[in-house]
Amino acid sequence: MSQTLSAEQGTAAKAWEPKVVAFLCNWCSYAGADLAGVSRIQYPHNIRIIRVPCSGRINPAFLLRALQNGADAVLVSGCHPGDCHYISGNLAARRKFALFRELLQHAGIEPERVQFTWVSASEGGRFAAIVEKVVEQARKLGPNRKLVKSL
Amino acid sequence: MTESPQIESRLRETASGLLREKKVSLFLGYEKATLPFRTAPLFLTAADEAERLVWNPFCSANLAVYLPRLFKAPADAREAKAAPAPPTVGVVLKGCDARSVVALLQERQVPREKLLLVGVACPGMVDRRKAERALGEHACLGAGEDARGNVRAVVDDGTEVTLRREQIVADACLECRAPTPALHDLLLGTPVAGKQADAARRRVAELESKPLDARWARFQELAARCIRCNACRQACPMCAGCKTCLLDQTRPRWIGAGTDASDVALYHLLRAFHLAGRCTGCGACARACPMGLDVRLLSRKMSQEVEDLYGFRPGEAADATPVLSAFSLDDSQDFVTEP
Amino acid sequence: MTEKKIPQASLDKLLARLQERGTVYAPGRGASGDVALLEMPQGEPVLQDYGNFALSPKAFFLPQTQTLLRFRDGKAEEPSPPDRPVFLVGVRPCDAAALLALDKVFLDGDPRDPYYEHFRAKATIIALACTQPMASCFCTSVGGGPGDGAGADVLAVGLDTGLLLRAQTTRGEELLASLADLLAEPTAQDSQEADERIRAAEGQLAPARADDSARRLREAYDAPLWAAAGQKCLGCGTCSFLCPTCHCFDITDEVRNGAGRRVRTWDCCAYPLFTLHASGHNPRPTPKERWRQRLMHKFRYAVENHGRFFCVGCGRCIRNCPVSLDLRTALKEIS
Repeated sequence: MSQTLSAEQGTAAKAWEPKVVAFLCNWCSYAGADLAGVSRIQYPHNIRIIRVPCSGRINPAFLLRALQNGADAVLVSGCHPGDCHYISGNLAARRKFALFRELLQHAGIEPERVQFTWVSASEGGRFAAIVEKVVEQARKLGPNRKLVKSL
Repeated sequence: MTESPQIESRLRETASGLLREKKVSLFLGYEKATLPFRTAPLFLTAADEAERLVWNPFCSANLAVYLPRLFKAPADAREAKAAPAPPTVGVVLKGCDARSVVALLQERQVPREKLLLVGVACPGMVDRRKAERALGEHACLGAGEDARGNVRAVVDDGTEVTLRREQIVADACLECRAPTPALHDLLLGTPVAGKQADAARRRVAELESKPLDARWARFQELAARCIRCNACRQACPMCAGCKTCLLDQTRPRWIGAGTDASDVALYHLLRAFHLAGRCTGCGACARACPMGLDVRLLSRKMSQEVEDLYGFRPGEAADATPVLSAFSLDDSQDFVTEP
Repeated sequence: MTEKKIPQASLDKLLARLQERGTVYAPGRGASGDVALLEMPQGEPVLQDYGNFALSPKAFFLPQTQTLLRFRDGKAEEPSPPDRPVFLVGVRPCDAAALLALDKVFLDGDPRDPYYEHFRAKATIIALACTQPMASCFCTSVGGGPGDGAGADVLAVGLDTGLLLRAQTTRGEELLASLADLLAEPTAQDSQEADERIRAAEGQLAPARADDSARRLREAYDAPLWAAAGQKCLGCGTCSFLCPTCHCFDITDEVRNGAGRRVRTWDCCAYPLFTLHASGHNPRPTPKERWRQRLMHKFRYAVENHGRFFCVGCGRCIRNCPVSLDLRTALKEIS
C-alpha cells in the first residue's frame, strides 16, 4: 500500500493510471474484498475502497461527487438481492441504481464510469475479476474530463 | 369553440360560494397580470373578490407549488403554538397541476381532507416566449382569446394578429398525456383527451439515437447557459416541500453555488434524479427559467424509465407508493456489472 | 460634450478598430435566437430590433462565479484578472445607469472592491439609445431615460444614416478622438433627428410611481399588501440574477485535500436561506418579508443611503417573474 502511495507522490512523468472509487457494503462486498486480500488474489491497485453499511446507503450524490473530485470511475457493490444484511436495502438501491445509470447515459456520460454489482462475502475471486474489468474499462476511457471539477 | 368564458364564470361562482360558505378559507386561482401572455396567481380570501379570477390561455402557472408551504408542519412546539390551524384550500388545477397534487398526496406532503380540488380540462397553455417570438419585432399591447381558442394579440402598430394556439402552446403541453384532471372534487370544461401520447417518448428517442458525445454536447448546451438562479427548482411543486435542498446544503457541501461546468452538471443531474418518479411533466421549471432552457431534458428520460422499468406513472394514483419507496423481487438487473 | 457621427457603412470598421485594442462585446444572436452581448468576432452584430438582453451586463463587473484566490500548502494566490481593455457596445441606457448604482456599493466604501474596480477601469461602455421601449420599461420614472447617457462613456443614437455618438465621459471623449478618421461632424439635422427619436421613445413610456418612494415605503412598512403580493413569490432568484443593480453575493471556500479556492457567487435576498441564522432563526422567514425587503432596499434604503434608486426601470424582473409579480404595482399600492 505504501509503495502505491509513494508511486503516486512522484511527479508528472508517470503514465496515467485511472483512479477508481469503490463503495462496498460492509457485510458482503467489503468482506468479499477482504477475502480476496486474504486469499492473495491480486487485483489492480487503482481502486480506493469506501465502506458503507449497505448499498442502500448510497446517495447518487456520493457517486457524482467522487467523479467531481477526480475519480475516473466509481464502482458500487452490495449483497446479492435476497441476501441483504438489512433485508431489503439492496432491493431499494437496485431501483435507484438502474435509474441513475439511465440518467447518466442520457446526459452523455460514459456508462462505464459508474458501475454497480453484487459481490458476496465468499466471492473474493469475483470481486477481483470485477475490479479488473472496471479498471480496464476506465483505462480505455481515459481520464474523466466531463464531470471533474478543478479548483 | 372555446369554453373559457363559461369556465371563468363558473370559477368565480364556485370560489365565491366556497368562501362565503366557509368551505374553504383560501382559494388559489389566476388573475390578470400587468403584461400580456401572462396571468398571476391569485390568493383569494374574500368571497366578493372572486370577480378577479380569470380563465384563459395564459393560466400556465402550476398552483400546486404553493400547497406544501401552506401545510408545512411547524418546526417546534413554539411555532406550533404561534401557527394558525392549516387552512382549507380550494385550488384551480389543470391536468398537469392535478397530477402534481396526486404526487404530493403520495408523499403525504398535503392532507387530502384540507383540499378542495377544482379541476379544469385544459386545451394547452401559451408559452409566452413562443408567443413573443411569433410576433417578431412587434411588441404586444394586449392579448386575449378568440372564439376558436386562438390568441388574438394587439400589437404596437395598432393591428391585430391571430396566433394559432397549437403554434404557441408550451412544449410541456405538446407532450401532455392527461390534460383533464383525473383527481378532482369538481370538474369544469369538457374533458380533453391526452394529445400526442408519444410526443415525450419521441423527444427522448431522438436524443437516445445520437452517440454519447452528442448527448453530452446537448446537455452542455443547456449547462453553458444556466446561471444557477434556482428558478426551476423553486417553481417545482415537488421541490417546494424540502426545507433545505440537497443542492443548498453546506455540511456537507455537495455542489458549489456557481456556474462551474461541473457544478451546473451536478445540479441538473441530481435534481432530475431526485424527481425520478415524482416529476409529472408540468413544465413549471422550463417556464420559470429566465434563460429559456429545456430544463426537462433529463426528467423526460426519468419519467420514461420509471414507467418502462417499474410500470409507474407519476401523478396517477394518490394512494400509490412512490416508485423509489418500493421494490419488487423481479426488478431489472440489466445494469449489473458481471466479471 | 463632443458629438460625432459615424455613417452606417463605417460601423464595421469601428468595431474592427476596437477589436485591435481590446475584447469587444456587441449585440448578436446567440444559439437560442435571443440577442445577447457576444464576444466579437461572431458574425453580424445586431444593432437594432432588440429590446434588451436577457442578462444585464453586470456580469462583466461582478461575475456570477469569481475565484478570488487559490490556496495550497499554506500559501494563497490571487488569480490575475484579464488585463485587456473591454468594449461593451450596444448596452442600453438603463443598464449603463445601473453601473452608477453598483459604483456606490463597490467603489464608495472603504475598502473598495478591487475586483470590481479593475473590471470597471478596463471597460469602455458604448450605450445605444432606445427607440422602442417595451411595456415593462419605466426608466423615466427612476431618473433615467431612453436617451440618457449616465453611466456610459459614449451614447450612440440611431439615425437613418448611421449613429450619432455623444461622448459622456473623458474616456468617451478620448475614444472619439482616437477614432477621428472614421467619424464625421454631425449636422444640426442629425442632432435634431436624434433628439426627436429620444423624445418619441420617452413618450411611449408608461410612468411608475417611484416618486417620494422612501417616505411612502417607510409609512407602508406594515401594510397588508406585502403579504398579499409576497405570498406569490417563489423565491426563484430570477429577479435578482437578471437585475442590473442587484449585487448581493456569497463567498464560499471550496477545499479538497487542503488545497482549494475562495469563490464569490451571486446570491438573492428572495432565497429563503438568505437571512437564515446559524441558530435557526430567520428574520425574514416568509416570502412576505422578502418581497418587502426587495422593494425597501431598492426604493427606500438605497435612496436614504446613496441618494438614488437601486432600480433603473429595465423591466427584466417584470418580464421574467414566473408568477408575474410587478414592483410597479407595489409602488402604486403603497400610497
